[in-house]
Amino acid sequence: MSNVRRFVMIAGAAALLMPALADTRLRAADVKVPDPTKVVMIVNRDSNEIAFMDIASKKIVGKTFLGNNVNPHMVMMSPDGRYVVTGGTRANKAYVIDSRTLELVKVINVDIAPEHLAFSPDSRWYYQGNPEGDSISVIDMVSLTKVKTIPGLVEPLNTTFSTDGTKAYVGNYGAHWVGVIDVRRHELSKKIPIGEVPGIAKLDPQKYLGEIKGINIAAPTNDGRLLYAADSDLGVVGVIDTREDKVIKTIRVGKDPWRIYMNHDGKYAITPNNGDETISIIDLQTNKVAATLEAGPNMTGVNFAAGKAFVISSTSGFVYVYDMKTLRPAGRIKIGTNVQLETATTDTADEKLYLADSTENAVVIINAKTEAVEKVFNVGLFPWGTHIMDSKDNYCH
Amino acid sequence: MGRFRLVAATVGAMLLGTVASAQNSSLSGRVSNSQGGVIANADVTLRPLPAPGAPPMPNMPNMPGMADKTTKSGANGAFTFDQVAAGQYVLQADAPGFERSSQAITVPGSTTTFALNLDPLVVPGAEPAAPRAGEAVDTQALLDRIKVLEQRLSDVESGTVLSEPETRVKRIEVYVDENGNQHDDPIPGVKPQVTYQRERVYRRQTINEKIEAALADAEEHAVKLGVSAAISPQFARQTKGITAAANDHAYQLASADVFFTAGIAQHTLFYADVVGLSGTPPDLEISGLTLLNGYSARLVRQNEIGLREAWLRTEIFSQRLSLTAGRLDLTNFFDRNSAANDETTQFLSDALVNNPVLGLATNGSGFAAVFDPKIGLNFKFGFQQSNPDATNLNDSLYSLAEVGYLARLPGLGEGNYRVWYRDTNASTVSSTAWGVSLDQKIAPSVTLFGRYGDGKVPSGGDSQTAFSAGQHFVSGGVGFQKGLVFNPMDSWGVGYSQTRLAAGDKEHLVEGYYNFQLSEKLRLSFHLSHALEVPEGAEKYGFLVPGLRLQATF
Repeated sequence: MSNVRRFVMIAGAAALLMPALADTRLRAADVKVPDPTKVVMIVNRDSNEIAFMDIASKKIVGKTFLGNNVNPHMVMMSPDGRYVVTGGTRANKAYVIDSRTLELVKVINVDIAPEHLAFSPDSRWYYQGNPEGDSISVIDMVSLTKVKTIPGLVEPLNTTFSTDGTKAYVGNYGAHWVGVIDVRRHELSKKIPIGEVPGIAKLDPQKYLGEIKGINIAAPTNDGRLLYAADSDLGVVGVIDTREDKVIKTIRVGKDPWRIYMNHDGKYAITPNNGDETISIIDLQTNKVAATLEAGPNMTGVNFAAGKAFVISSTSGFVYVYDMKTLRPAGRIKIGTNVQLETATTDTADEKLYLADSTENAVVIINAKTEAVEKVFNVGLFPWGTHIMDSKDNYCH
Repeated sequence: MGRFRLVAATVGAMLLGTVASAQNSSLSGRVSNSQGGVIANADVTLRPLPAPGAPPMPNMPNMPGMADKTTKSGANGAFTFDQVAAGQYVLQADAPGFERSSQAITVPGSTTTFALNLDPLVVPGAEPAAPRAGEAVDTQALLDRIKVLEQRLSDVESGTVLSEPETRVKRIEVYVDENGNQHDDPIPGVKPQVTYQRERVYRRQTINEKIEAALADAEEHAVKLGVSAAISPQFARQTKGITAAANDHAYQLASADVFFTAGIAQHTLFYADVVGLSGTPPDLEISGLTLLNGYSARLVRQNEIGLREAWLRTEIFSQRLSLTAGRLDLTNFFDRNSAANDETTQFLSDALVNNPVLGLATNGSGFAAVFDPKIGLNFKFGFQQSNPDATNLNDSLYSLAEVGYLARLPGLGEGNYRVWYRDTNASTVSSTAWGVSLDQKIAPSVTLFGRYGDGKVPSGGDSQTAFSAGQHFVSGGVGFQKGLVFNPMDSWGVGYSQTRLAAGDKEHLVEGYYNFQLSEKLRLSFHLSHALEVPEGAEKYGFLVPGLRLQATF
């Protein structure tokens, strides 16, 4: 082949391929997380960072520092896997991280004390709840800007989007109603009261005029048709029909239910009742309490895996286990002594739990089947919560 | 010929590329900072957006970057994308030290040239981004830095923050070598050692949080004090038999317990209960086999304060086994029926909150062990002095064992079933008994309860009180909670008991109550009892006893 011929061939090929090569080249060296489903995100409240732990190797593959005194609260990945976001409670800001490079790409001013958050199913809207601002900041994940602040809420703790993304339901911990947001207009469109405050409440100003403990979250059934919302002060769970946005039944549970957690098979839900240290297991077919079982103090979360429920007792150092077939207690797992446990996420295979152990700066991996425990230390200071993309147990406290 | 084919193929390929380009567009722009200075070497990304009306993103639709186009801005901040198909896109720009610029665009659209302005990324405490190779730190960068600092100053001014650093004491493992030097990490020749050390944390706390934490800490370390006080007026109306002294008499008993709780070591608790009682319960005039007022069991001497309980409890074997020793009330550990166990919140009659065949009238020094692996099965064992006048434990040893099981019967809620066995050698006469106790939910708000007890050896020694001497005992009833009530936290129940002594004396007792929870600390309950006593060889007599109970617990 002559030099001319070789030149012409290379030039021709280059003319075809150059635009594509130039536009689609990936900076492999910058990519720290090639697959966002393969990492556990860890919120480190005191080291003000999000740590990313590879699920397979159990190694920290990267940390994103957010700034001094940010105190991030909850972390979540967008459903499209593109971004990781968190609210900095003491900075009054939302933080947007590129999920591949783990670079902090945007800091957005929000309202007072941002904590829990949610994404619309299409990943377009990031709703950041601001409990002390009594508002939700709406962040457009295309322009990466705050487009609106929704006022009129009362200590909004958790937001749940409807499956079609047209509505969002907000649990108000400072009141006894669930707010319905019209997502097209980002406006509060309805208030759904969960239960009536008993008339005798006026005899008890210490309880009812003191600190209010209302609704933490409205949690959906698997088909999204019903929502279940526990009210702590009233000791009830309200069942909301999302077609009409009204309460169709009220179920009385134990004292001071923290919130409700839905079993993955759609048969049961659990409220940890911190007032009497029990759990109430609700049968979702009959909407009745199927069992009330002894549990531990200061419960912060419930995870489901391997046919069991794992109830985290924050200050006792135990995770209480329940068999979800027999609805009987199945022992408890000792995590440590003088430790404080926070919240956990479950992997998508429902095999392992990743529990934040804040006093040991560790993430505790619990094998749901064998109940074996493994600790990964030095994940950051005061890990407050964990998150895995597409996990059914992504929550915060 | 071969050369011709090659040239023709090359030209053809180039033409194909040109045709393809004709269906696409180009777009370009410039990346600059907020003051207008150009940013070279910025990463510019073009990402397609789903078409309008496309279904919501399913789980894991797109891995990031799969359909993205990226390029870099040139020395003058300019960038270009060629061959861009029609559609909606997100145009983004990133540069170290700057926030991401992101906007939705349409191709082809009204404009093909975009000015992307990047704002400085404010991360207090982070190292400033190093300039990329070839970039110079210029005046503009300094101006940007000043803006960042101004923003930080504004944040500090607007936020309520304590300036003192937060600290926390941690238990840590260190390594000490043969010369006594401490190392953080293991090296050859060191020994691990546990110590405690303060560490600094970087949490910003508001003043409110700081105060709350201080109060919680103080409460945790303090001796906790609790009060349980009750007033229970009752009235007796004779319904059967020869008119007795108690007929149409009114009674009232007042009781106050002050209890102290303190954590004194790891998983170790101290508890003391000081009780004072005063008043006249109906049981002083109605000599039934069991007490019509359960509080009477505590009444030893009028207007005197007594030590009811004082014990230490520790938990071992991962807190599966708890050991309690001291002055005990063993009924707090055994036969804990959830629907009928507590004279302060449930039935007032002793026969409906206790099993008289247990035969334990007074508290005393003793020991209790409870093994509970939290699987719905537990084992209990305890013993205590049953005669307060005895001079040693051997002469008045009362021992008790119990197995409890949490069952779920088909179609029903959870049920607790217990079986117990006791032995006592009070009054030098050995007496044994056994019994069962159950509370079974038949609906979320309805619980059935029942007890049975059978004494093996007739008792009746000097140290046994009449109400503890039942040899065959059965009780049952139903309790309601969280349903069929006036107020959500109210409860009510009805129960029946039958006590029969070996000598032939019998008692039939029925009671109903309704308990209003007026506040978290105050309850008011209404009771109506009827006791029919059938003494062997004597005329039967009965009393209707209405009563109230005002119970404060805080």
